[in-house]
Amino acid sequence: MLSFILLATVMTVGALGVVTLRQPVHAALSLVGTLLTLAITYVTLQAHFLAAVQVIVYAGAITVLFLFVIMLLNAQGDERAHRLGWVKPAAYVTGVVVAVGLMFTIFASPTTLPDAATISAALQGGNAGVLGEVLFSQFVLAFQLVGVLLLTGIVGAVSLVERRAAQEDREQELPATTQRERELTRA
Amino acid sequence: MLSGLVPTEYYVALSALVFVIGAVGVLTRRSAIMIFLSVELMLNAANLALIAFARQWATAGAAVALSGQAAVFIILAVAAAEVAVGLGILVAIFRYRHSADVDTLSGVRL
Repeated sequence: MLSFILLATVMTVGALGVVTLRQPVHAALSLVGTLLTLAITYVTLQAHFLAAVQVIVYAGAITVLFLFVIMLLNAQGDERAHRLGWVKPAAYVTGVVVAVGLMFTIFASPTTLPDAATISAALQGGNAGVLGEVLFSQFVLAFQLVGVLLLTGIVGAVSLVERRAAQEDREQELPATTQRERELTRA
Repeated sequence: MLSGLVPTEYYVALSALVFVIGAVGVLTRRSAIMIFLSVELMLNAANLALIAFARQWATAGAAVALSGQAAVFIILAVAAAEVAVGLGILVAIFRYRHSADVDTLSGVRL
């Protein structure tokens, strides 16, 4: 219980950091902290394989992709005021109301956890072997669809980049004066 | 109370809290990158709830209990694809508009 409270505190602080920090890089690093805490929480829930995948895929690959894009675009945080000024306070109020309501709903009907032996027998530590067995028998259709989705994602990402390269070639072919004019009108 | 396994409610409550924080982030941030980060937070909160429920259903047998964890695995793959395509679109928008501010991206508004 003590370790859970510690993990929950770190995770909540990290999540609040993602939402409140101004610099995108700081927010992304805060997200890394939250995701690593989540991985530890998965270990306490006997999902060891998913904890490893969480560290490798989320805290590793996805966050590096985020940081790469943030630094590539040199993106700045939110500077000016919101165009719809009432959205921000309304969002905070809604968030607090929903959180309190969910807490009441969750703790209204306490559940009894099965004993440790039953949990260990059913989950078997959530290792890759047992998880793979379920994935390739019950979830084989979903697994195939995820494969198709990933392929579509790759093709989509490549097509986005490719179209951009072709347009840049066309821009470079234009005379210098025309390009200067285009930049002025764009600015 | 201070020893033994933590009940499922606590994990679900933590998941709900992180989800709400992520939702507030989606509503309040204006930079598209920050909105993406908040969406990742929401996805991970859902994953935490699924894994907590997988442990709760241990009495129903290995196949049922582990299906929660298998769902999380599939969500992870979908999230990875979503991030790759989403950040690609973001880079494309940034090249055109020189800003990732969602307030200025009202081109498809009726």
